[in-house]
Amino acid sequence: MSAVRVCTEHLEPGMVLWANVSGMDGGVLLGKGAPLSAQDIGLLAEADIPWVHVQRESIADPREWEERTCLEYVRRFFVFVNPDEPFFIQLFRVAVRRVLDARRHGFDLRCADEIQARNVEHMSDVFFRNDLTVDKLVLHETQLASFPDIYFKLKQVIEEPNSSAREIAQVVGSDVGLAGRLLKLVNSPFYGLASRVDSIERAVSLVGSQELSTLALGITTINFFKDIPPELVDMRVFWRHSLSCAVFCKLLADYGGLPRERMFIAGLLHDAGRLLLFKDLPYASVQAMLYARSNMLPLPDAEQDVFGFTHAQVGQRLLAEWNFPEAIVAAVGHHHDAALTPDSAEAATVQLADILANTAEISAGGVYVVPGCSSEAVASVGLPLADITKVLAAHDAAIDELVKALL
Amino acid sequence: MSLLSGSLTLRSAPKVTPEEFTALREFIYGLTGIDIPAQRQYLIENRLGPRLGELHIPSFGEYLKYLKFSREKDAELKQLFELITTNETSLFRDTKQLEVVRDKLLAPLLESLEKSGKKELRIWSAGCSSGEEPYTLAIMLHELLRVKLMSWRIDIMAHDLSPAMIAKAQAGVYGEYSFKTTPPDILDRYFTKRPEGFEIKANVKRLVRFATLNLNDQAAVKALPRSHIVFCRNVIIYFDTEMKKKVLSGFYDNLVPGGHLVLGHAETIHGVSRVFTPVHHPGGIVYKREG
Ligand SMILES: C[S@@+](CC[C@H](N)C(=O)[O-])C[C@H]1O[C@@H](n2cnc3c(N)ncnc32)[C@H](O)[C@@H]1O
Repeated sequence: MSAVRVCTEHLEPGMVLWANVSGMDGGVLLGKGAPLSAQDIGLLAEADIPWVHVQRESIADPREWEERTCLEYVRRFFVFVNPDEPFFIQLFRVAVRRVLDARRHGFDLRCADEIQARNVEHMSDVFFRNDLTVDKLVLHETQLASFPDIYFKLKQVIEEPNSSAREIAQVVGSDVGLAGRLLKLVNSPFYGLASRVDSIERAVSLVGSQELSTLALGITTINFFKDIPPELVDMRVFWRHSLSCAVFCKLLADYGGLPRERMFIAGLLHDAGRLLLFKDLPYASVQAMLYARSNMLPLPDAEQDVFGFTHAQVGQRLLAEWNFPEAIVAAVGHHHDAALTPDSAEAATVQLADILANTAEISAGGVYVVPGCSSEAVASVGLPLADITKVLAAHDAAIDELVKALL
Repeated sequence: MSLLSGSLTLRSAPKVTPEEFTALREFIYGLTGIDIPAQRQYLIENRLGPRLGELHIPSFGEYLKYLKFSREKDAELKQLFELITTNETSLFRDTKQLEVVRDKLLAPLLESLEKSGKKELRIWSAGCSSGEEPYTLAIMLHELLRVKLMSWRIDIMAHDLSPAMIAKAQAGVYGEYSFKTTPPDILDRYFTKRPEGFEIKANVKRLVRFATLNLNDQAAVKALPRSHIVFCRNVIIYFDTEMKKKVLSGFYDNLVPGGHLVLGHAETIHGVSRVFTPVHHPGGIVYKREG
């Protein structure tokens, strides 16, 4: 006999508990050994017990059950997308396979009750809803904190079209950490340069001065948000998602003939607005997430209701304030509504990359639902359905190494 | 045969046509004041779709007819309420705001009522969901008054649209999730442990009166007795401006002069109503009906 962990929402009458389940008072709520009734399952749900162990042998048709619950599980992530859009149908199928696969290799599904909000009652917000605007929020931040010197030096170099590779190398080289991470990035197999690059100067001549400086600028930003309360966001998880999105952006850039480095950075910074919200409105940010989850709303919709604007708008304003290239600023600002911008290819690429990143995370325990996207935006990226699996595989092969190199 | 060998579809509910969506939206709005914006069509499909499946109703148009004309329509409306409302709540939700309520509203109010010799207090919890909010207020009053509570007449009216939530509130038994922000000593003093959860004690329970009530029903709202404080947290966020106006004016009329309205942390009446005076405290804003 063996035990299997089953989320309460996937329990079925007839399954047999492997061990006693204790109740809130420490006593036995349900004893092991007897087949569960529908009422018993209701009781477990009432008591907020997220999962239990049951006897594998008591599952009538384990294979069928496993597939059915995986399907149900993945479906929950796809509630905001157009279920008739071929791209999403294909993505859904791929995601189901990935979850089934992961599960057979020991991945436990995240149960509905585990995905609840944490206690953030001790946090307070800098602003009240009454006096809250994107401008106030962003200016409050940019006036308080300043970027390291290197940032301004990089900006100068970028704005000066005749900067030589040596000049750029000097600026970048003055920050040893930054130089090291840049070299790791361009030397990664994902980056696909033909030969090994061991100096920034060489990197500049291979990648291009504008491109390399944009990368440097983006990487500098990662360090900018340090003091976010860890109980709100796990910064590693946050940046890993951002990096995933960056990787997909770069992969997708090729389909639309867009500049790769620029897209990579747009992907990396697409959620910068969320960090600002977490920093200055921690309590309301959690309310927005809760509101989104309990109302089955996409996060930007929930933010609109709770704050009166979205994290995309905050990110756009922030990056504009920091003088990032206009194309990056616009793409970040519209990464949830790409079809609404006139020049939408870049924004659509970030939007789709974000969707792919979320999909990739489902089988790794990610809890964020897949954001929706209009069919026009999907079409404008030009990714053939047949390539979805390939793009996901390319991402999977690259992401761990990049996380190590950059985070 | 494997479920995956066929071609897997993503659609799990009938498609709602634009006409059906508009008709449903208007129906729900007229009934509850809850406004479902046009871009949330998938929300309707995903929330109501499974119910259509259970009833073997093939389309949203048919479902609307069922809601309007079938013999089961009253029972079905209750089901619909369950599906479209969100009952997310917890005990001691937003502690900072509750501290403001305790120190800046309740304490001075109790004192002045006591001085004037009228030891009667009424609080209205509008949109109380499964009861955590009114019970939290009842516990706060116990903590403030202690043994003196015996000499007071305290009435906490608590209402919700959803009959299922009111039933749960009346049972007063809560799972772990409801307690995520409750101080442990409060838990010990005011709840009894049961295997299926913690049950609120009778001395708290008797301060609260639960009933179903639709805030969109102006006649029912008018018929309620006057209150010193109205709590309506995380409810009006679901309403459009017109409905917000209507509900806020109902609260205004219900409050005694000098009484206060408390909204959710993220809610504002900025640009909706000007009859209340916002009072800022570190920790939250409360709204006063001038005396
Ligand atoms: C998110 S809960 C808020 C619970 C509690 N006040 C709190 O803040 O924790 C919102 C509640 O409002 C109720 N509601 C929505 N529309 C309503 C209406 N028209 N009349 C009465 N209650 C309504 C819902 O049933 C739901 O229980």
